Amino acid sequence: MSGQSSAGPTYTKAAHGFTQDMPPKGGYANVPYKRNLPVRGVSGAVIMGTTALICSYGFYKMGQANIEKRELEREKKWSRIWLLPLLQAEMDRDIYRREQAALAREKIIMSDVPGWEAGKSVYNTQRYVPKQIVVM
Amino acid sequence: MAAPGVFKDRTYSDPNPLPSSVPAVDELGTTSAPLKSASFFIGQYCKPVNDDFMLCKQENQDPAHCLKEGRKVTRCAAELISKLRENCLKEFDAHWQCLENNNQYFHACRKVEKELNSCVFTKLNLTKSIPGTPEGMQQIHEKKNPLFGPLTK
Repeated sequence: MSGQSSAGPTYTKAAHGFTQDMPPKGGYANVPYKRNLPVRGVSGAVIMGTTALICSYGFYKMGQANIEKRELEREKKWSRIWLLPLLQAEMDRDIYRREQAALAREKIIMSDVPGWEAGKSVYNTQRYVPKQIVVM
Repeated sequence: MAAPGVFKDRTYSDPNPLPSSVPAVDELGTTSAPLKSASFFIGQYCKPVNDDFMLCKQENQDPAHCLKEGRKVTRCAAELISKLRENCLKEFDAHWQCLENNNQYFHACRKVEKELNSCVFTKLNLTKSIPGTPEGMQQIHEKKNPLFGPLTK
């Protein structure tokens, strides 16, 4: 009984001899039925706003980084493009050297086969077809 | 899958030399990092011969078809590399060694690259410029505070 005052209950003698239990003097104290939620920290809107702000900064940075990455990729590609003719020329010389050697070998090996045309393409085309078989 | 007829247990070597009908040209012999370092200068310096070679290749894919143009390409590149070494040896070495040590990332070697570029510009009058950079945007190698920098501090 939280409502009882320190003075203790008061009793009144009734006609029938019983003592009626009465509320304390001044009545019971209020029952704290209302929700008690004190404000703790910043409001939800502020938290949401800050989160949004941080996220937008991060996305902005990411966008900038994507642009920069794209440019770096272009730089890399162009550095390779500029080197392509050089590497291709070197490769071509090597392939030509090997093909000539293979042709000479074929001429010697097939010299006693009548009607054999050394170096003749197996394809019915004028287009150059890279060799599928390399003799080592 | 490997093409038919390829045996990977042997090296692809053939000791036969080029036929004597083909004029000899010294191969460049430069490894990947110095080539990458010099690539934009090669591209600018050798543009006419390179374009010539690529147009020839477009005409015909046969290796025998463009040997003459190919020799010019190699000679031009060799000439540029030797010029680079004559004029900017210190900067060139610093840049390609930086590339070698940084996974060949251009963005990891901007500091030494800047020195190389300025040296090449003053001595050889060649500038690095990346084609296709969007209108109004700075070339990536000239950006003041890039987001992607050296791999290690």
